[in-house]
Amino acid sequence: MQDHTTEQELKDRLSLIENMIAEGRRDTESWGWVFVLWGVDYYFALAWSAWNHSAWAWPITILVAVVITVVVASSKAGNHPRTTMGRAIGCIWIALGISMFLLFLALGLSGRLTDQHLFFAVIAAILGMANGASALILRWKIQLACAAAWWVAAVATCFGTDAQSMIVILAAIFLCQIVFGVYGVIADAQGRRGRGPVHA
Amino acid sequence: MRRGAEGAVRSMPELPELNPVVHGRLRLALLSLLAGVEQAEFTWLRAKTEATDGNLGAQLLKLEEAGYVAVEKKFVLRKPQTLYRITEAGRQALTEYVQALKQLLGPAIEP
Repeated sequence: MQDHTTEQELKDRLSLIENMIAEGRRDTESWGWVFVLWGVDYYFALAWSAWNHSAWAWPITILVAVVITVVVASSKAGNHPRTTMGRAIGCIWIALGISMFLLFLALGLSGRLTDQHLFFAVIAAILGMANGASALILRWKIQLACAAAWWVAAVATCFGTDAQSMIVILAAIFLCQIVFGVYGVIADAQGRRGRGPVHA
Repeated sequence: MRRGAEGAVRSMPELPELNPVVHGRLRLALLSLLAGVEQAEFTWLRAKTEATDGNLGAQLLKLEEAGYVAVEKKFVLRKPQTLYRITEAGRQALTEYVQALKQLLGPAIEP
């Protein structure tokens, strides 16, 4: 009996090790809210830019979104461990934020932000790249679909009228930021995880 | 020692000893959790193990004293944060513990 109990205890220890290692690897950040935040931010930037063609519309709104993201993410940092994959994904989006801020600031101040089609194509292509890289690392089909939508938008916005290109970009933002972000928030709240973790 | 059919003395294979620092259930859980991540905060470890602050702190201190865990304390947005990560020695100790477990269990865990 004692040998059996000891053997069972050892098996439990082995089980404990496997479960705890899996727990650590499985636990991920909840980033659905970031997608929604940035979707709203893009809409705000578009509205401001359309209202008075200000060169500061995009740099300021992106900076505000970056600050909010950093502050909220930092306050939630203790709730989740740092993993190599999480750090890799985070770096993709940090690089995206820096690129967008510098690019739009320079284009705005230099007065070269005149071609709406080109501007939207660049935004869509950059977002497609970031979503695509993230989706490929995480092997997450839904995010890959978002990346594909951004790539389609990047191509489509090069053609047609100004109004048509605006509609394309507004639709892409709605699908790939708002809808995708809300899906992420709901999935996290229900404790469900898709094929991969939710990362911005 | 056992005697075989011909009376020859056969010695029992030496059973591995389990590292007592790693063997503690909560300490084992902590090392295993940390093995799967780069680093983790005290509150996350507490949530995963459902241990009390005092007990968790005591076990983490034992692991730190054994050199299996490293601690980093810092402030993030003026809030104190205590971060833990497993060391190479801790990873090695966990690996050896698992190997010892498997050796002790032997045929009991083979498919």
